[in-house]
Amino acid sequence: MSAIPKLEFPPFRLPPSAEALRTEVRAFLKTTLPGLKTEDRYPSWNTPSPEFSRALGAQGLIGITWPKKYGGQERSFLDRYVVTEELLAQGAPAGLHWVADRQSGPLLLRFGSEEQREAILPRITRGECYFCIGMSEPDSGSDLASVRTRAEPVPGGFRVNGTKVWTSGAHRTDYCIALVRTSGQHGDRQRGLSQLLIDLKSPGISIRPIINLAGRHDWNEVTFSDCLVPESALIGGEGDGWLQVTSELAFERSGPERFLTNFHVLRELVRVVGRQPARRAASVIGRLVARLWTLRQMSLAVCGMMEAGQSPAIEAALVKDLGTIFQQDLPEVARLLAESDATTDEDMADFLDIAQHATMMAPAYTIQGGTTQVLRGMVARGLGLR
Amino acid sequence: MDRESREMLLETAGRLFADRSGKEVVNAVEKGEWPAGLWSEITDMGLPLVAVPEAAGGADGTLADLLALLRLSGSHAVPVPLMETALANLVLAAAGGVPVEGPAALIAGGLTLAGGKVSGTAKRVAFAGVAAQFVAVIGVGPAARVVVLDRSSAKVAVEPSFAGEPYGSAQFEGAAPVQNLASPVSEVRLRELAALARAMQMAGAADRALAITVEYCKQRSQFGRPISNFQAIQHLLAELASCVAATVAAAEAASRDASEVGIGSGAEFSIAAAKTQASEFAQRIAAMAHQSMGAMGFTQEHVLHHYTRRLWVWRRDWGSETEWGAELGAAVARAGAETLWPTLTSSRFAA
Ligand SMILES: Cc1cc2nc3c(=O)[nH]c(=O)nc-3n(C[C@H](O)[C@H](O)[C@H](O)COP(=O)(O)OP(=O)(O)OC[C@H]3O[C@@H](n4cnc5c(N)ncnc54)[C@H](O)[C@@H]3O)c2cc1C
Repeated sequence: MSAIPKLEFPPFRLPPSAEALRTEVRAFLKTTLPGLKTEDRYPSWNTPSPEFSRALGAQGLIGITWPKKYGGQERSFLDRYVVTEELLAQGAPAGLHWVADRQSGPLLLRFGSEEQREAILPRITRGECYFCIGMSEPDSGSDLASVRTRAEPVPGGFRVNGTKVWTSGAHRTDYCIALVRTSGQHGDRQRGLSQLLIDLKSPGISIRPIINLAGRHDWNEVTFSDCLVPESALIGGEGDGWLQVTSELAFERSGPERFLTNFHVLRELVRVVGRQPARRAASVIGRLVARLWTLRQMSLAVCGMMEAGQSPAIEAALVKDLGTIFQQDLPEVARLLAESDATTDEDMADFLDIAQHATMMAPAYTIQGGTTQVLRGMVARGLGLR
Repeated sequence: MDRESREMLLETAGRLFADRSGKEVVNAVEKGEWPAGLWSEITDMGLPLVAVPEAAGGADGTLADLLALLRLSGSHAVPVPLMETALANLVLAAAGGVPVEGPAALIAGGLTLAGGKVSGTAKRVAFAGVAAQFVAVIGVGPAARVVVLDRSSAKVAVEPSFAGEPYGSAQFEGAAPVQNLASPVSEVRLRELAALARAMQMAGAADRALAITVEYCKQRSQFGRPISNFQAIQHLLAELASCVAATVAAAEAASRDASEVGIGSGAEFSIAAAKTQASEFAQRIAAMAHQSMGAMGFTQEHVLHHYTRRLWVWRRDWGSETEWGAELGAAVARAGAETLWPTLTSSRFAA
């Protein structure tokens, strides 16, 4: 039998330094979080709080892997992993700086100009400068290479025209990193795309809310009409946008927010079944715990590979696929169990609201950051099937 | 064992399994034939003594080496009690006893020891039908004993597993053990170690099922092209690969954890989680593998069932996802909701 490409997740354990940081982060959250209601805390990475972002920045916990000269701590990705998972699990309102810390900052660090880095990275680490992602457009979702927003070179910079959609947080962030066409024609696909660092206060930008099914205003439609941006807004090389955006997506996909977003549902489920659940209930909970533990082990393995300098894009896609489906299953399994096994009717009623809310938010998980189908296409390629 | 020795061991063992534990051998076991040749080559290579110290005649390997070997044996559906004999020998050696020749069957539970005599019935014992010795741990804590019972002292009723392996029950009535030693592991611990070992075999079998289906789908043509060109098949196999990866990752992580602690205790959480996970995904893995291969995978002729049927049997061996899940869930609930997150990050049950 010929060998097939192997998708391996070698066990990886966080080093003692990262575990020591965990203790610090827990202590910090313990003093910072009380006072917030549960519904104001989940999903952590969607919940904005400038006060919290600044407090976290003051602790040196944003951009911690970045060089000290840009305000970072030069700590490892493993340390960042610990901070991230603690924020998620404890429901810290980390939504404002999330994108900047996770992908925009690292992108600027890797491809940005010195001027861009100096101007922006220190502000991100202080928890005062926030980013949004300008990739999707009305006609470009999964097929991202088909974007139409055009940045026409003009003396001194670019003139941008086009529309971005589903732009999370555009109404409360400072910058958008937009994927735009700077040369060639629509239809040239990956060629001729570039990334621009756009100050959202620039003239020629209008931001219109898009309300999601839960009535929340997270999304926006961002329209550029003859918006002039300086030449210094170009990130990396002209025409390198596709390469850069792919590396950005790898950061976006590999984190623990792909399986810990609704961790509170599991924690509250444990609470409502009481200290001595029936065997069947215990078994259902144990199976959920085992799945979550496994996902975390896989995610740690991806983290270990990244720390070792590999680029496990396919492994990350696989973990995102499994993790987001877990997040979709969890509220439903929990709802059914609570209906039969909650210790009191009152607890059950409270929990059903939590579970129902989580169910309502769950469709997004398998769409944002690459749909299930797109991810499976990537894994299939990893298996040598396409 | 250092890395190099382990790799060498796995390479030679892999070659032996591939050459000598082929389809015919696995099929013959289902017809009740004992593969004496295969077993003697396995013993000649010293595999049942892999985790026994050199001084006791073993290969001086660790639990980690044994677990890696078992993942490999799972990926070849090796139809002999290598897991059972090697794990028994690990325990016997740690107890200061003499390793057994095998083939041995492993028992944890159902038996009592009184006045040096063993009585009781152990049910659904893997390879009871062919075992030359039964190695049982009886009792918990400092009172735990490990005993070796000769086949002649057992009344065996063979009930082949659904994978056609000679499982069965073993009854003892005042049987005198040929070895009777203070055990370094309790009955409960032996069940944990065996569950972990089975999870590793499941990881091997799951991996192989994926390899078989990927290969098949690239070769099988319908509508004028390989079925692997159809997106539905690509996505099915991607999902299958995810479930396989989860099974392997859980088993490997628990193996790592267990290898870092003594055999007597430790890594209880990881082991319970790994066996729960492996057992829970067994059905999805088997179902998706079969779906992607059409009728061919459902035949006796094709080897896919050597792996899927073992997954179905092994998910129940040494505790199913219901049993291990209930233990996990009960422990988590007892400790309370606030300890759930620390438990997950430390892979350790809250005190
Ligand atoms: C909560 C949320 C937040 C978001 N935030 C942002 C943001 O901040 N910035 C941003 O740029 N975008 C954001 N997005 C947009 C997100 O990136 C897109 O939704 C995603 O890329 C999918 O695109 P689409 O919604 O247009 O769906 P489509 O691409 O139209 O897909 C619809 C369906 O068709 C399937 N499909 C598409 N192509 C294929 C194919 N080749 N094979 C098989 N099936 C296929 C998809 O899997 C899906 O099931 C967000 C989305 C959500 C849900």
